[in-house]
Amino acid sequence: MSEVEIALTEAGRHRWRIEPHPPMRVPGVVFANDALLPQAAGDRALEQVANVATLPGIVRASYAMPDVHWGYGFPIGGVAATDVEQGGVVSPGGVGFDISCGVRLLAAGVGRDELDAERLRRLMDLLDRTVPRGLGRGGLWHLAGPEELDDLLLGGARYAVEHGHGVPRDLERCEDRGVLAGAAPGEVSTRAVERGLQQVGSLGSANHFLEVQAVDRVHDPETAAAFGLRPGQVCVMIHCGSRGLGHQICTDHVRAMDRELHRYRIELPDRQLACTPVDSPRGRAYLGAMTAAANYGRANRQLLSEAARRAFATALGVGLELVYDVSHNLAKLETHEVDGVARRLCVHRKGATRALPPGDPDLPADLAEAGQPVLVPGTMGTASYVMVGLPGNEAFSSACHGAGRVWSRHQALRMVRGERLRAELEAHGIAVRPASMRALAEETPQAYKDVDAVAAVTEAAGLARQVARLVPLGVCKG
Amino acid sequence: MDGRESAGRTGSGHRSVPHTADLRVEAWAPTAEGCIGELVHAVVGSFAELGGARIVGERACTVLAVSDPDLLAGVLEEVIYRMDADGELPAALALGPIRGLDGARSIEVRFRMADAATAALVGAVPKAVSLQGLELAAGPDGWTCAATVDV
Repeated sequence: MSEVEIALTEAGRHRWRIEPHPPMRVPGVVFANDALLPQAAGDRALEQVANVATLPGIVRASYAMPDVHWGYGFPIGGVAATDVEQGGVVSPGGVGFDISCGVRLLAAGVGRDELDAERLRRLMDLLDRTVPRGLGRGGLWHLAGPEELDDLLLGGARYAVEHGHGVPRDLERCEDRGVLAGAAPGEVSTRAVERGLQQVGSLGSANHFLEVQAVDRVHDPETAAAFGLRPGQVCVMIHCGSRGLGHQICTDHVRAMDRELHRYRIELPDRQLACTPVDSPRGRAYLGAMTAAANYGRANRQLLSEAARRAFATALGVGLELVYDVSHNLAKLETHEVDGVARRLCVHRKGATRALPPGDPDLPADLAEAGQPVLVPGTMGTASYVMVGLPGNEAFSSACHGAGRVWSRHQALRMVRGERLRAELEAHGIAVRPASMRALAEETPQAYKDVDAVAAVTEAAGLARQVARLVPLGVCKG
Repeated sequence: MDGRESAGRTGSGHRSVPHTADLRVEAWAPTAEGCIGELVHAVVGSFAELGGARIVGERACTVLAVSDPDLLAGVLEEVIYRMDADGELPAALALGPIRGLDGARSIEVRFRMADAATAALVGAVPKAVSLQGLELAAGPDGWTCAATVDV
């Protein structure tokens, strides 16, 4: 694979531009400071920003969030919108393999000062035993068969709540009230169903986790209160997606679109950008299957929330209230104004979070004045952020989704030993329950960008505003 | 670089190479089929130790694709599918010759399967194969291949 030199020009505070040289149709725009720009040897994220700008129907720009890093096809931390009525395409690579991978934050009825080392150890041991993760098929919910899985693909988190896994208020605090309309289980392959059938209610591995955190600092007390957060509060953050089902759907549809590119005379610089017009049989089929996977991801996080609630009730005798649940790997049909005209767009967010501003009609009533919570997980050794959407966000109301990797897993394994990392974290009061020591080492905090800088640049660039900073107390690592 | 590398790359071997978020593996062998087998070993060895795992039987399949690199992806995807759907991982595999069929490529694979629940987890679990940077080609010293695997 040969590397392409990408020239960046500074175009505002924490804003960089890649000029639209053919075959790019729009410029690339990167939100970053010098330190956050992809710099690792071989990291080709900026080349991917330019490649995305070649997609048919793309409007305004190919955007990169401050946590951008190298993905496949699209960069991770990429946002691109295509105009549906102008032949705009949908690209499964612009969603990612882990469809509806996302983050859920729950607030506990207990403060950090009430959680001594012994109570934390008991809680973490319970979570360790009851949260499925790593290798294996065992999810928390044993579905009766493919027919029940179809119901879950249509109903998402709402289906889970209707079957006793959670409370109705949870749905008010989920993006799309926990269920994205338009799911087409008929477009989900048998293989995807077989992979997904036994994984509902499981974390997976790699960067997925369930973390017990505490509110370390509140930047905006009024908004934090609207979200249900206060200083010192204990929280639970869950990061996971649609498991094997979502990956198989992406695989199936990328392969099919790759074979059919000639039908629409689409030429691409990278096969993983395979795409098709949104308004085409294949485009509709993908969006129907993607939506089904999105609902699976939401149900998955709903089940894991229930496991966390049981552990908190048993170990501490307290409950957990949902703050918010948001996907950061998704394509959505949204209306945005482009060049003064309201247009129907297919907005791809791959490793990027929707960030609705105060007053947006899609917000639940109790968040209408505050705006949408934007959940930004950092690392198990540093911090995570809760931010809020801002008006005037040029990247189609999108913000960062995490810290963003800078080290390869390969480099992390060369630099860090899992046992030593665990001892260091424990010495800082962070209880660690890993699925494997090597997988823990791959996720060392040094492998990521500085999440404080990512949050600060995200705010300075006008994408979202900081509300609260959370620090880890304990982590169940996938 | 990690892996099993023979001197001068004249025999068979594999290694992992840096990729920011996921797993990139390379393999080499005198034949294309041997190269695919090496890559399967590389991917499975990156996350599971099967030394003490319980063998549960054999599975056979025919993988079809439009090109040799896509055939490589297809075999890896079969491994991932069996892991998720049946809880099995290949402790060993045998590959038949790659055949041409009406413009497509095909290969028969026999897996000796182990119970994944009895394997030791040692790394991030693979979930999909990217088309980006997918390679399987003949060179002056035999065949080489590479794939990027989402974990």
